[in-house]
Amino acid sequence: MADLDLVDFAVDYARQKGASYAEARYEHQTDESFILKNSVLDALYFGEDSGIGVRVLAKGGLGFGATNSMTKTDVKLLVDDAVKIAKAAHRKDPISFAPEQAVVTNWSVPQVKKLSDVPVEEKIEEINHIDRELKDLKFKIPARYFQQSNKQIDKYFVNSEGSKIRSFSPRVRLFYFLTVQHNGDVEQTYQNYGWSGGWEALNELQMRRRVIDEAKSMENSLEHGKKSPEGKMDLVVGPQVSGIAAHESCGHPTEADRVLGREASQAGKSFITPASVGQRVGSPLVNVCDDPTIEHGIAFYAYDDEGVKARRRYLYKDGLINEFLQNRETAAILGTRSNGSARASAYNVEAIVRMANTYVEPKDWGLEEMISGVKFGVYMKSFMEWNIDDKRYNAKYAGREAYLIENGEVGSPVRKTVIELTTPTFWGAVDAVGKDLEIFHAGFCGKSDPGQALDAALGGASMRLRNVYLR
Amino acid sequence: MEDYAERIVDKAIALGCQDAVADVAVNRSYQIRIVISNRWRETTASAFIVYNKRVVASDIKDMTRLDAQVENLVKIAKASQENPDYAGIAKGPFKYDRLSVDKKIVDLIDGSDHVQAAVNAALAEGANETAGSFWKYDEEHYLRTSNGVRGYDHRASLYLSIRALASPESSGHGVACATKASQFDPEKAGHKAGKIAALAKNPKGGEAGKFDVVFDPLIFGSLIDQVGGRAGAWTVLAGLSPYAKKIGKKVASDAVTIIDDGSADSIGRKRFDAEGVPTKRNVIVNKGILKTYLHNTSTAKKFKTKTTGNAGLISPDAHALSCKPGTWTRDEIFEECKDGLWLTNTWYTRFQSYVTGDFSTIPRDGIFRIKDGEVVGVWKDIRLTDNLLNVWKSIEGLSKNVDQVQWWGEVYCATFAPYALARDVGITRSAE
Repeated sequence: MADLDLVDFAVDYARQKGASYAEARYEHQTDESFILKNSVLDALYFGEDSGIGVRVLAKGGLGFGATNSMTKTDVKLLVDDAVKIAKAAHRKDPISFAPEQAVVTNWSVPQVKKLSDVPVEEKIEEINHIDRELKDLKFKIPARYFQQSNKQIDKYFVNSEGSKIRSFSPRVRLFYFLTVQHNGDVEQTYQNYGWSGGWEALNELQMRRRVIDEAKSMENSLEHGKKSPEGKMDLVVGPQVSGIAAHESCGHPTEADRVLGREASQAGKSFITPASVGQRVGSPLVNVCDDPTIEHGIAFYAYDDEGVKARRRYLYKDGLINEFLQNRETAAILGTRSNGSARASAYNVEAIVRMANTYVEPKDWGLEEMISGVKFGVYMKSFMEWNIDDKRYNAKYAGREAYLIENGEVGSPVRKTVIELTTPTFWGAVDAVGKDLEIFHAGFCGKSDPGQALDAALGGASMRLRNVYLR
Repeated sequence: MEDYAERIVDKAIALGCQDAVADVAVNRSYQIRIVISNRWRETTASAFIVYNKRVVASDIKDMTRLDAQVENLVKIAKASQENPDYAGIAKGPFKYDRLSVDKKIVDLIDGSDHVQAAVNAALAEGANETAGSFWKYDEEHYLRTSNGVRGYDHRASLYLSIRALASPESSGHGVACATKASQFDPEKAGHKAGKIAALAKNPKGGEAGKFDVVFDPLIFGSLIDQVGGRAGAWTVLAGLSPYAKKIGKKVASDAVTIIDDGSADSIGRKRFDAEGVPTKRNVIVNKGILKTYLHNTSTAKKFKTKTTGNAGLISPDAHALSCKPGTWTRDEIFEECKDGLWLTNTWYTRFQSYVTGDFSTIPRDGIFRIKDGEVVGVWKDIRLTDNLLNVWKSIEGLSKNVDQVQWWGEVYCATFAPYALARDVGITRSAE
């Protein structure tokens, strides 16, 4: 770790230079990752990324600067730059931050098996083992691609209001991409799982079983899959599909910076406006939460990157638009308080409004119970292709693992089922929410310029949707 | 900075490595966004070391601990596994093209006039809201390899992206890219964004079906970017491309020639790739036929060919793409669209199968209904759902003028793109 006194110095110096508010965030991230492609260890990556980012408010303008040279001279230069460009903004509508209490604390994520104690060769062997099991299956898997990453993030945050927060966050990810071939036809999948904690992650997430089960389901789809039926019918979706819908058509449109147009040129705007709070967007059974405090969720944090305490946010509650994700800047504009949603992907980018662990809150239905109530429809367990427009209103999720439901029973696999619905149509059709909850699908959520790909967990309970158009 | 690169390579070789590459990048970029201005002062050493075919890559940020970090990388490499596909790095030294950097860009300290010019132009066209960013990119690179490469590059360019809105659902996008300050035209980008936004007022929900489509350069850039990205040999081997086993086969219409050229003047220009090989012109698709994948030394050996000078640290990538201009004027492209659509931008291009190329992408900003070459309506809420190879095979005409484009999340690679006319492109929409 670098000399952390420099972080305090940066804030004090910014105040001396005329900043009305200043914050400095030092980060040291170690990233160990490797790619195993078709049984070959393509490359091992080990990086240490460290430096300081300083954000200031001066004369109503906002300036940010970053350096990885932790010397007093360079930190002074950086602060000079940040204050100068903030003042140069000459804003007609000065930027302000919603009030917050100063916080002095340390927090960290516990690890059962410390990442730093597990040699990289052991980590590689674990993935080799999964790869060997795949190769032992009696069908063709011509492309097998794994990327395993272990990140350890130390942070020290200081602001001019007296906050001083140190944190340590270890994160484990496994991404895999498989191609299964059968009689000249192919099925492809990619999955991304994540965990805040130590090397116990792969066991806890049962990764060996998941990968093998998925490969078998792909072969099953190729061998027995039928064309998915087209028309209006009932649909049961698994946690992975609930999770992507929670993230894309609830989490993103309720980001306050997007609602206010700050992302308009990149990640877009939102069909939701500040006046939409309280409006119906789904059936009364729909609760979608974003909760950074979920233990072991890949996006776990106790305090955000503006020093605000994290808490659960009900974005859609009882089917109504309930709350936006806010940082201090958007909260000041909308006359509310931050709910601790500010995050940055590294020291060298500003903290902006981000989702953390976003999910459909479970209720009390069993999966079989939901399926038994369907006369004719589809059970979509996972998806492959997906996208959504920049106002987050028109989404598409194309099935990877999906089955026909007839007379309350799961039948043969169906291929490439397409859900292409508007956000209110999708959420409005929900008539049952399961008690199963899974929040370990890990996305890289993209936003901002320069782009910040950030850890985000997607999950939830299974759901049943009535009478929706599928093809 | 040369010292850092030298030290990394020397240290790795002294510790028993056979190959070592270090690229020290000094980043002095500057950005203005509507709400915040950003400035960076960073130095990053990208290192690549190989011990008995065990490959380790790293980015080193703390130069005060450089020796210790290289020692750690070598230790990690020794504990790692052999990569039988690794075939070494290119043997230097190489001669590079003359350095080409505009001092006016390097010396620029305030880009606010450029931002103002773009915003004013968009407002003059009828927009009432704008968002976007201005970048001055300024990076120096010092490359050393254990195979005799010593390279220096200075990459500086200006970029502006502006989205203009005339109402919440009427928007247009424009970009400006230049390696010479005198050629930077943010005003043109602002006019384009504002004009499309003003024309896109009162959109109606679109219809599903097959349509002839006029692709504006920004969205066509996204499709060209897909070709460049999917033509990387590593991507092909990973199962992430529809171009596997298609060298010499038809992958686009006769009208289409796609080139990657890191040595040409563009904002993606580089004097050398990550192994130090001089960048050059590579024709990926010639008159519709797939001619080559993009290679580094290792993938080239696997495919029994030569490197194309596209090495990244791990996988080969395109540097700067272009679609060879056609012979049509912009007006002729539109006139030939008797009953179709004009799409101006897109995002979220995703594949159901990378092997087959089945994909969809969501047009954003102005979507216009065209009849006999004229705009007769404005649409919203549609999706382009088709197959990448089919769309490229359906290209009938290309304009003789091209725009340089690059855009957040969609056009990763600097790309020169013309207007294009495609026939019978699949369009879908959300069901009721």
